Amino acid sequence: MSLLDLSRWQFAITVMFHMTFPAITVGLAIFLSIVYGMYWRTQNPSYLQMFRFWRRIFAVGFAIGVVAGTVITFQMGLNWGVFGARTGAIIGPIIGMEVVTAFFVEAGFIGVMLYGDGRVGHRTMFIATVMVAIGTILSSTWIIAANSWMQTPAGFQVVNGFFEPTDWLQVIFNPSFIWRWPHMLAAVLISASFFIAGIAAWYLIKNRSVRFAKQSLSIALGVAAVLMPLQLFLGDQVGGHVLGAQLSKLEAVEGNWQSGNTSFVLFAIPDQETARNIAQLDVPCLGSYILKDLSCSSAPPGLDATPVADQPSMAATFWGFRVMFLGAVLMFSVAFVATTLRLRGRLWSSRRFHRVVLIAAPAGILATLGGWVTAEAGRQPWVVFGYLRTADAVSQLSPPEVVFSVVGFSLLYLFLLVAYIAYVVHTVRVGPERDDPRRPPEPTPGADGVGVAALDGVAIPLDEDGEVTLR
Amino acid sequence: MMTTLWLAVVLLCLVMYVVLDGYDLGIGVATLFERDDDRRRSMLELVAVAWDGNETWLVLLGVGLWAGFPVAFGALLPHAYLPLTVMLLALAIRGVAVEMVSQRPPGHGWVRAFGVASLVAAFALGFTLGTLAVPIVLVNGIPAGGPAAFTWFSVLTGLVFTVGCTALGFGHLVHKLSGEHRRTAARGGLAASVLAAALFVAVLAASGVTEAPLDLATPGRVAALVGLLAFVAGGAIAAVVGFARAARHDRPDRLPTMALAVSVVAAFLSLVAAHYPYFAPGLTVQAAVGPHNTLVFLLIGIGLNIPLVLGYNVFAHHAFRGREHTEATEERTVA
Repeated sequence: MSLLDLSRWQFAITVMFHMTFPAITVGLAIFLSIVYGMYWRTQNPSYLQMFRFWRRIFAVGFAIGVVAGTVITFQMGLNWGVFGARTGAIIGPIIGMEVVTAFFVEAGFIGVMLYGDGRVGHRTMFIATVMVAIGTILSSTWIIAANSWMQTPAGFQVVNGFFEPTDWLQVIFNPSFIWRWPHMLAAVLISASFFIAGIAAWYLIKNRSVRFAKQSLSIALGVAAVLMPLQLFLGDQVGGHVLGAQLSKLEAVEGNWQSGNTSFVLFAIPDQETARNIAQLDVPCLGSYILKDLSCSSAPPGLDATPVADQPSMAATFWGFRVMFLGAVLMFSVAFVATTLRLRGRLWSSRRFHRVVLIAAPAGILATLGGWVTAEAGRQPWVVFGYLRTADAVSQLSPPEVVFSVVGFSLLYLFLLVAYIAYVVHTVRVGPERDDPRRPPEPTPGADGVGVAALDGVAIPLDEDGEVTLR
Repeated sequence: MMTTLWLAVVLLCLVMYVVLDGYDLGIGVATLFERDDDRRRSMLELVAVAWDGNETWLVLLGVGLWAGFPVAFGALLPHAYLPLTVMLLALAIRGVAVEMVSQRPPGHGWVRAFGVASLVAAFALGFTLGTLAVPIVLVNGIPAGGPAAFTWFSVLTGLVFTVGCTALGFGHLVHKLSGEHRRTAARGGLAASVLAAALFVAVLAASGVTEAPLDLATPGRVAALVGLLAFVAGGAIAAVVGFARAARHDRPDRLPTMALAVSVVAAFLSLVAAHYPYFAPGLTVQAAVGPHNTLVFLLIGIGLNIPLVLGYNVFAHHAFRGREHTEATEERTVA
């Protein structure tokens, strides 16, 4: 494995790990804003309970997203120092805007959002929560602007190998940004919806905190029902744009080495060395239909239309897309069935459906990750599409250094991922009952240690609050 | 002119980061000296509401350097690859540890991880600053890489940075805590301040034998350096006096924090004044600066946001001002 491969794996692992968390927290932040707003208006304690419970899931996920995001920023210089130096005049200011308009906003208000309950007024709490949500949305916006510029660079000139901006509006609102931004936003909202719905379905299956679970599930699946059809449309628009702007990526997505196949390749095991698929499963004519030709005579272009030196890895691009697409089909079906069941008044009684919703909890996150693999692997061998090759962007480091960081970050992320899943499972098992402001404070230490901690005088604000409200 | 202005913004980020995250890294180091679990938790709670905002200055420092001085970003980071990697690993663990402890009470391992990771992060960052004394090689304006930039000087800067952060951490504790816990913090702060001052003198003396000696070529530079060093010394003395006073009285006391902040900012600026216009030997501000269009965008887009950003920081600290939290906890214990 070369130095370039090591740096690429390190970056891929870091961004995939990072993306898992915004995929949950951006949507959760918006969900929390809505729920707290409802509580503020109606003073209905159910909403406060929802706010407190989902905030627990949000808080740790947000922290992990922040620390992994910090790593990404520095890796642009650590492992990709030549990329950093050559494109810094364009990418740097965009990420800089993200820092001042998003990171600082989130950081300024997250403390109040997480620890202010019972210590500050309802209005301050609401504003803080909304500001955090706005911060997460702005953050995604700037990141998509920066990444889209790398996909479809615009508004720049190259001087002595350095990219220099000539028109900032073209840089930021570059051709692919227009569709990728709403596509990404819908993706994270849908991911969070399925994550929330999955956990709520578990409570319904267990017959626990049923009112809480119904309210959460209802909001989550409602959002999914609205956004899923929209997302299929947006995804199609992004695909259409890729056809025009990044043909090599589309060729790899389609999975054909040669042009002329009117079928849609459902599964394939591509082999880059011999430029053929070791195994392949086709759906006849569907490839032509996707190109909006119902006569079964149009065929998507094969990867051989792109010179070998400019070809992306077909396996990564092809499978990234399949994961995203199949996830989307699954989620669309779930949202469709949910709406049907709701109209028939059977949404709360169908155990089998609740199990499906539980299993589909990570579907949005996986689909989002699949989408990013498609976008990034499909852009290769370029880091700035058509202008700067990834191989020419990597820092000249000594291999042991890079091995150390790949191993270090991989272990860290694995550990944090396990810790987060264990934390979510623990939080879900303890349940939303402790977050119910109507519940009287427990006089004896609780089994999960919460009561103990509160009694021995240690500050654990989240658990104090319930009691503060009741006093 | 625009280059200088943007350099000033980057330096602002640097000193904001060092002063703000310095105290919360320092509180982390201080937890390692604390045996009592309740006290360690209440120290960690002080960090929980602020670490994210404090660390964001580090991100803006990195991105500010990247955007305005792309070549410096692309050259300096690989130059300090290992210490920066260790720093990032440590910062990740400590950020997650804070939230884990706050959200899920039974977590002794996370409290300890927070302390150790804070110590490692502070040392690694200080170590990184020492790599700035090792020459950078550029080929056609592009960072050419080179052997790892490890020297004994980095160990020294790592130590002074760690001890300085610890002093800042104790300063914050003296302001926020009460009772015996506070007196312990004051004694710790006193020791850390004296040690940090001694180590800083050692850094100044030792830099003469590195490849980045203090530049005292013109009277103006000498005057700037002497003036700033006077602030460093004055701040250090005031901090020592403040800690000594805090060890005897039980009143909220901002003096150590304020004095240390002045001292630390002056210390960083004195090193900048003695090395300008070099980021590191072989790499000047002019060689690293980005194009005109970028600087215009940065000064308008990000420069104008800086007051807002400072406002969010003030809001975050203001919302949990004073010692109300500790008092509330004590009240509950009594009840």
